[in-house]
This record gives sequence, C-alpha cells and structure tokens, in this order.
Amino acid sequence: MGGFQGKNTDSVLQQIRAMLADGLVTQTEPFPESAVEFAKILDQLRELDEDDLKGRLVIGGFTDKPYGPDEMRCQECIYFLVHREWCDLPELALPVEPDWWCRLWKI
Amino acid sequence: MANLLWLQGGACSGNTMSFLNAEEPSACDLVTDFGINILWHPSLGMELGDNLKGLLQSCISGATPLDIFVFEGSVVNAPDGTGEWNRFAGRPMKDWVRELSDVAQFVVALGDCATYGGIPAMAPNPSASKGMQFLKREHGGFLGTDFAAKSGLPVINIPGCPCHPDWVTQILVAVASGRAGDLTLDEFQRPKTFFSSFTQTGCTRNMHFAYKVSATEFGQRKGCLFYDLGCRGPMTHSPCNRILWNRQSSKTRAGMPCLGCTEPEFPFFDLEPGTLFKTQTVMGVPKDLPTGVDKTGYVKLTGAAKAASPQWAEEDMFVV
Repeated sequence: MGGFQGKNTDSVLQQIRAMLADGLVTQTEPFPESAVEFAKILDQLRELDEDDLKGRLVIGGFTDKPYGPDEMRCQECIYFLVHREWCDLPELALPVEPDWWCRLWKI
Repeated sequence: MANLLWLQGGACSGNTMSFLNAEEPSACDLVTDFGINILWHPSLGMELGDNLKGLLQSCISGATPLDIFVFEGSVVNAPDGTGEWNRFAGRPMKDWVRELSDVAQFVVALGDCATYGGIPAMAPNPSASKGMQFLKREHGGFLGTDFAAKSGLPVINIPGCPCHPDWVTQILVAVASGRAGDLTLDEFQRPKTFFSSFTQTGCTRNMHFAYKVSATEFGQRKGCLFYDLGCRGPMTHSPCNRILWNRQSSKTRAGMPCLGCTEPEFPFFDLEPGTLFKTQTVMGVPKDLPTGVDKTGYVKLTGAAKAASPQWAEEDMFVV
C-alpha cells in the first residue's frame, strides 16, 4: 500500500491544509471524462515518489472546498471513507476532509 | 429415454468442462437416473470418421430420433458465408447445425458463444460468427428469428462464460423428463428460473454496495466491486451468488468483478484496452447504473448512504 497509509495522519492533514490554504495551484482541469483519461492521471500519480505529497495534490487537482456548480466534494465520493476521513484510492491514499474535492472524484 | 447429441463450433470447450463438473445432477446422473442417452459428445463420443458421419446422418433422416441437440460455441460462417473455416465430419459445421436443428425436438445453446456469438463475434468478427438465434442483442442469429424446434420452443439459451454446470444439467433434465412446458424464457430466450435475478442477488458485498463503500484493489474483502473495479453484478442476470460455483464461492465473493458474461454484449468489447476492470464513468458517474436506477436517484442515494454509513462498513469484517 503506497501513499500515506500508516503515517502520522494528523501531521499529513495539517500539511495539506496549509498548502491548499497558501494557494497551491493544482490541476483541477481537465476533469477525466472517461475511464481512459482517468487511467492516465493514475499513471502520472504512480510515477511520483512515495513521499511526494505536493505532487499528489497538484496532479489530483485538489481543492479545499466543493467544486463546480454541483458542489462536488469528497463526502459523496466513492473513495472517501467517512469515518476515517481518508481517501481510499490507492494512488492517493491521503487523509482528506469531507468538503474537499479532487478531479478523481467518482460517485 | 431421450437422445442427446452435443456438437461444438467456435468453442474453447469451457462449457464442456463445466458440464463434466456438474454435481446436482451430475453428467453421470443424467444417464443413470434421468434416462438421457448421450448419442455423441466431443469429449465422450466413441465414434470417429464414417461411423460418426453415419450417426449424424441417421439423426437427420429420422432413423435415430433426436430429442435434444446441444450446441456449444459460435456458428462460424466465414469465409464468404460458406462456413469452411469450421469443418466437421466432412462438411461445414454450420450445415450440420442447420439440419440437426431442423429435426431436433429441443435445441439448447450453451455458453455465450452459442447463445449470442460471444468472444468469436467480437468486432471485427473475422470468423463471421453468430449465436444460434442471436447475434449479440439482435434476434435472428444463425437459425433466424422464426426458428422453432419440433417441440415448438425456440433455441433455449443458457449463456455464461462458461455457464454454470447445474444450469446445464437441470435444464437438460427438465427437457428430458417432459417438463419443458414448465420452462419460461425471457426476451433473450434464457430460462427465467435462472436468469430473472441479478448476479448481485446474494452477493456478500451487498452491505458495502448499500453504504457506497468501494473496493479499490483486487482481493480486498471489504468494499463493493461495482463502484471502481467495473463489476457488472447489479446489471447482469445470473444466479451466480445463489447457485455457487463449486458449491463454494463466486467471482464477487472471491474479490473478482462480475464481467457480465450472461448478457448478450459480453465481452463488452467497446471498452478501451486497460479499462476492463475500471468502472466506466461519464463525468464521475457510472455509465451503466444498476438496472432500473436513474442518475438523479443514484446521486441522491449516494449522498444519503454515505451520510448513514457505519464505521464497520469501512473495515475488513472477515479478518479472524
């Protein structure tokens, strides 16, 4: 299992909060409209170093608020584990908050 | 005594392997307990060459009554409609299929290739394969829309890749014991007794489906395989989680997504390479939703289910 599984979750969460609050520019577009495009983003994520937190946020297109007219957010995403507040997509494997969003969002 | 003849066209013998592994009833039970006389079968038949030809001709002439004609594999029509790419006993297999179907009381198509064309009929379909009475969803196939066996029933389709052993033997017993009238077929000529419920019916992951917790890697015992790994269980008609395989398990119970092999579109060849085990989405929403569910309802249900999801749904409850 890659990502930040088993690491200090609180510390990682603080780092993510800080980066997003500081205006980190992430690739929110293009949203992957098909499984092929989705798979290409996963391929990019797999090439990152295991500890490259910033790279994950940038390629994943993270925002610290709901996104788009439909107010998409982690809370409704199928990768979000509600009680752990964790993104269970293996290529991300990060602590996340329910009102965040990324372009790997799936319902 | 019911005479049964079994031939193979564009086939891998998977359905034969399945048949020989049947348990309730077994292939031997068909002979000893249910009065089925297996005239010939590719793996069991003793006749070869002219003796086999003679047997087939005897069925066609009516000298040997043919009660049940079972066909496994696609009907190969290439090249140019001749069927010469699949010759058997001195002539194109398709010619045997036509003439034997015309004299049989019942015609049973086994497996996805015989029912709908299956893998051989994938585009661009170089072998010009067809199913017995369907080509994918299109009614007609090799024998045509109007075909009916002497009993009056159309081809009885038992799809699957392969079909479950018990589906085969139970249907054969029903036919051989004079209970074919009890069979009702669905729009794709599948016996409703097996193909009315969904693969998801009885799946051990249903609680994860309900709470929208996804499996994200093969072999995980928590999570539903529909959301991310391309499982077609909610849209596929089969009893795979009611009549278990080897009396033990099923694909989804073992952590493998259902591939939808009892549906006419199988193997869903319009999927892009590398995406077979990824749920197809359009803007993040599954392209194929569970049967009968619309997008608005699905989105609303997801929100409610996630909000209600209990902690145990996120854990592997099967760890001992």
